[in-house]
Amino acid sequence: MRGVSGVDDLLVLLFAAVALIGAVSAHLQRDRFGKLIAVGIVFGGIAPFIAARGYLDVLIAVSLIVPVTTIIILLICRRDTHDA
Amino acid sequence: MIAIYLVAALAVFAAIRATVEKNTGRKLPYVNVMNFAIAGTIVLLLDHPLALVAAAAYFVGSTLEANAIASTYAGGERRG
Amino acid sequence: MMPEFVLGCIILIIGVIAAGFPRPMTYLGRLISLEIPAFGLLLIMLAYDEMLALLTFIGVTAISTFVLVRAIERKEAAE
Repeated sequence: MRGVSGVDDLLVLLFAAVALIGAVSAHLQRDRFGKLIAVGIVFGGIAPFIAARGYLDVLIAVSLIVPVTTIIILLICRRDTHDA
Repeated sequence: MIAIYLVAALAVFAAIRATVEKNTGRKLPYVNVMNFAIAGTIVLLLDHPLALVAAAAYFVGSTLEANAIASTYAGGERRG
Repeated sequence: MMPEFVLGCIILIIGVIAAGFPRPMTYLGRLISLEIPAFGLLLIMLAYDEMLALLTFIGVTAISTFVLVRAIERKEAAE
């Protein structure tokens, strides 16, 4: 990964495995909360890639914006649970 | 040097374990384990002072997200 | 040679399939599945070092998610 830090092929493979497991799981889950948890796993997989390129300020901003998106979606999940 | 591989393998194990779990309430502790492992990876990856702040921001954000999901999943007060 | 680009393309394809054919065919399932190609596009922008585009894209995604949640809420209240 461009030699910015001590990232070699094994670490790339491990974090890519985390992101791909989350992406496939988000498609296959049928529960709403399972889908949201899988989206969180996808972001956990791609956060070390942002850090390994050296853009730490971007990582701070993205890490604070992405959970806000999940919490916005949770507003409609709660409303749907009450109706059901 | 071996620490970062150990933490990354722990993240992969926690992601697999959270995926194959059926119950939603039992998924969330494994997601928390994966988030702790990712936060540790961000610190171990770079020797930069801002890496600590980035890991703290990721930790706060992911913990808030998991707690919000748990609160919505368990919040069964029917006041409507 | 560029692991971010390859991983971003794979996640983008999986996300497009997931958003096009969501498993529970509801508005909420499609809205949650719409997050996955956003992360794939984030990785492709990261591979080309377009940081201003990445920050703008994530911010606009959050705002558009808020607008879509309000729209779905209003449609389900009308039914």
